[in-house]
Amino acid sequence: MRVIILGCGRIGSGLAARLGYAGHSVTVIEPVAAALAHLPEGFRGRTLVGDVLDRRLLLEAGIDHQDALAAVTPSDDVNIVAARLARLVFRVPRVVARVYNPRAAEIYRRLGVQTVCTTTWGISRIAELLSYSELEPVASLGSDVDILDVAVPPLLVGRPVSVITVPGEIQVAAISRGGRTFLPQPATRLEAGDLLHLVVLTAATDHLVALLRQ
Amino acid sequence: MRVLIVGGGQVGSYLAGLLLEQGHAVTIVEMHEATAVALRHALPSVTVIHGNGTDPGVLETAGIRNVNLVAAVTGADPTNLVITSLARFAFNVPRAVARVNNPHNSWMFIPEMGVDLALNQAEVLARLITQTML
Repeated sequence: MRVIILGCGRIGSGLAARLGYAGHSVTVIEPVAAALAHLPEGFRGRTLVGDVLDRRLLLEAGIDHQDALAAVTPSDDVNIVAARLARLVFRVPRVVARVYNPRAAEIYRRLGVQTVCTTTWGISRIAELLSYSELEPVASLGSDVDILDVAVPPLLVGRPVSVITVPGEIQVAAISRGGRTFLPQPATRLEAGDLLHLVVLTAATDHLVALLRQ
Repeated sequence: MRVLIVGGGQVGSYLAGLLLEQGHAVTIVEMHEATAVALRHALPSVTVIHGNGTDPGVLETAGIRNVNLVAAVTGADPTNLVITSLARFAFNVPRAVARVNNPHNSWMFIPEMGVDLALNQAEVLARLITQTML
């Protein structure tokens, strides 16, 4: 994949390093030459210094034949404008913009620009860790599905596995009980001391919390 | 006509004055509080909102859903383009005008970014000078 990354701060440089290690062809554009020092030693991608909205520089970076572009400068306005132009003028198929303002993020998502709002993401992640630390994922499958280990809450003891199953959202993959682990049936009764291994859609985490508290 | 001006600097306030003289209803969104206060004194019949013009909430407070024209005339080109994009594609404003600060940025002021008319001061000046004075 050929990728342009606009902005070489913490996110830009980290993203460039990660995509570079994965074998992608990365071009970084950054206005401040010194910021390129954020890139890891041995980074083999291309770097261009200049205004990230400079048409000539974008063309020099080959924006008209890229597979993807990430706009991750510190400015919401620049990121949104760059992302829209990449989509609409240069027809870049995959474009993502980082934004801080959650309200604008929602509107731009509806207007066809994929945004990652670090503010919203940070808030929900921190709130999750503060209030439901027992739901920390043991593993994530992609960015949408988590595997969680949960001790059976006392109120669910004696109830069937089906009460914490939601098709397409929450699945009890396995139960560890008395030193062995097995795959349950929907009718399997939960026992005190069970450790549930759940496969959960990240977006359904709140739903799971509600089920565990019933 | 109802006009929303985003950016209350020299361009925005001068434009507001002209529009008022012609009998239009004008609202200005200005980011800097001191400038907003000064505008309220200088132009008492203008509604001045203190806030960031790229924040959809601020634009709604300023009545963007009910205006005929938005003029994005801040001193930052990306900001002006975000405002015109929001005006056209999020709030269905019929017409949007934007100020181009850096002539190298004029390529971005296109209908896909919600811009009906781009006003490029430097370009106009340069053209006038080269065409009439040389």
